[in-house]
Amino acid sequence: MTKESLIKIEKLFKTYKGDDEPALKNISFTIPGNEIFGLLGPNGAGKTTTLNILCGYYKKDSGTVQINGYSLDKNLKEIKKIIGVVPQDIALYETLTARENLRFIGNMCGMRGKKLNNRINECLELLSLDKSSYRLVKTYSGGMKRRLNLIAGLLHEPKILFLDEPTVGIDVQSRTVILEYLKELNKKGTTIIYTSHYLEEAEQLCSSIAIIDYGTILIEGNLQSLIKSKSEYSDLETIFLQLTGRKLRDN
Amino acid sequence: MLQLFSSIYKEILIIIRDKAGIAILFLMPMVLIFVMTLIQDSTFRKLDEARLEILFLDYDQDSLGMAIKQGLQGSGFFELATTYENKFLDQELIHQLLNKGKFQIGIIIPNGATNTIRNKAELIVSQAFDSNDSTNINEVKAQDDATIILYFDPAIKNSFKQSVKNSLQNFTFAIEAKITFDYLAEEFSDILSSPNNIYFDPKGSIRFEELYATDEHTEIIPNSVQHNVPAWAVFAMFFILIPLTGNIIKERDNGTAMRLEIMPSSYLVVLIAKALVYIFVCFIQFCLMLLVGMVFLPMFGLPVLELGPNKMALFIMVISTAIAATSYAILLGTIASTHEQAASFGSVSVIVLAALGGIWVPVFIMPGFMQAISIVSPLNWGLEGFYNIFLRGGGIKSILPFVGLLIGFSIISVFIAYQFRRFRKV
Repeated sequence: MTKESLIKIEKLFKTYKGDDEPALKNISFTIPGNEIFGLLGPNGAGKTTTLNILCGYYKKDSGTVQINGYSLDKNLKEIKKIIGVVPQDIALYETLTARENLRFIGNMCGMRGKKLNNRINECLELLSLDKSSYRLVKTYSGGMKRRLNLIAGLLHEPKILFLDEPTVGIDVQSRTVILEYLKELNKKGTTIIYTSHYLEEAEQLCSSIAIIDYGTILIEGNLQSLIKSKSEYSDLETIFLQLTGRKLRDN
Repeated sequence: MLQLFSSIYKEILIIIRDKAGIAILFLMPMVLIFVMTLIQDSTFRKLDEARLEILFLDYDQDSLGMAIKQGLQGSGFFELATTYENKFLDQELIHQLLNKGKFQIGIIIPNGATNTIRNKAELIVSQAFDSNDSTNINEVKAQDDATIILYFDPAIKNSFKQSVKNSLQNFTFAIEAKITFDYLAEEFSDILSSPNNIYFDPKGSIRFEELYATDEHTEIIPNSVQHNVPAWAVFAMFFILIPLTGNIIKERDNGTAMRLEIMPSSYLVVLIAKALVYIFVCFIQFCLMLLVGMVFLPMFGLPVLELGPNKMALFIMVISTAIAATSYAILLGTIASTHEQAASFGSVSVIVLAALGGIWVPVFIMPGFMQAISIVSPLNWGLEGFYNIFLRGGGIKSILPFVGLLIGFSIISVFIAYQFRRFRKV
């Protein structure tokens, strides 16, 4: 698979049990390698569903997904080895310290010994958690938990990193640290697929985007090209509102 | 193996850092065993050892009244009160005191009760010895019987009431027999012109020897501790479901289960680690509960718990019960949507299974259909297996059917949980 299409999604369709309306309606798009790709959309648009299917947590009804040349249907085990996921929830054990959480997650990814310890130290230092790494997670602030949640997803140095709203509910300082780290990570070759409600943040971070609403991809492509092509709009937010409308989305 | 050991270490850390959880896991079962065994033992002793105060009103003031009074006092189980707050008893006062729950039993011996026995005995004897006596057996039967009034607190248990009635019947029967015998002796003395007294032994000639149908070479003596400790231990072990379901549901709710599922390692490893840790917790719980039976309960005058000669059988039985309890918790933790759901349904289901299984009342006194249902309770299998070891002195062979049932139950529970997990997966 080329750099142009590290992830290739074709006609992805998904309806949740008990729902009449499909969550994803035959969506197709490609994500180039070594990019920061923003999957943007209002609440309930289908962002998290797409991400959860891509990482193998949800089952799709139909369609094909290829990640780094591996088929999601046939090579899930291989895919799991090259992806990292930072879920929207703080998926950590509150009564363990940051180091204990990371050591456990590292072990579950097959890492061990000195290599694991070095990697934990490196990540904690980069996200400014090294001094508090022996504290229980339940004593952490929201921003610290978010940063640790991020480390937990990328500890095993995945080739592709999925981030589901990684900066929600945190202060500007923590957000800045996270975004700078993501950019740094991307420079080193990690492809990042990222969902967010913060369009300004996405505009600052992403090289390409897709806007999804009601389970349909409305627009997809390089962010700067999209802004240039829509000359009447100066930023991502206006494009977003034009495509998705101003109707409130309660779910 | 790295994943398994790491998951086990993680579970242990989570358990030991949850102080309230540790109290639930280890302290509560010990308190449960302690309290329940003491309560059950005191209920048992109420008849045997505790001296129960009985209101006693003797209008008879003759042999029967005396015999009952001496019999009840001599039994060592009862104390007789003939006054209350310096007031003499009467039927109305006895009724009031029992109605207020101040006493549980009142006995009123009617006036002339002994004379009634004498008259009847005299008639029976004279009818037997005097061929001219025209009294027939129907006339003897027609004699007025004396009625001893027994007042019971409405809250008293039927079994307890029955025991008191049996004791009274023994005393009255003995005095009736003695009086009848005296008349007979008198008649014989007249016939035989013998000066020798004929001795009447009211205790009779039959003695009882209690033997327990235990296996050979066992020195276990069944008592309330041997009964209660294993029974309540099984009950407490199944309450592992409260912390374990909480652990599973919390992991699912906070997203850590999702994180683990999308890692290259299998989530099954995490579940196996969880099960192993909680089986070990059950084992520690059981050991602590044995400690209560062997050390703490004897401090309160109860017999020391005897483990019996078959320690390996005991170990196998504990592990099998722990596996069943843990598997049941995994099943509930998987099916329930919230911890509240799991905790409330889980607790009630364990209580129901315990009741069905014979933890609260023995299975043999349940109605027939309940006895049939009781055999499907895993707590019953656990209980019967432990009874085989603690009371019947049985070995590994005797517990194998119950071990098989418990392991079978565990396999089915985990299988259902696995299928349900697959079904629920979005």
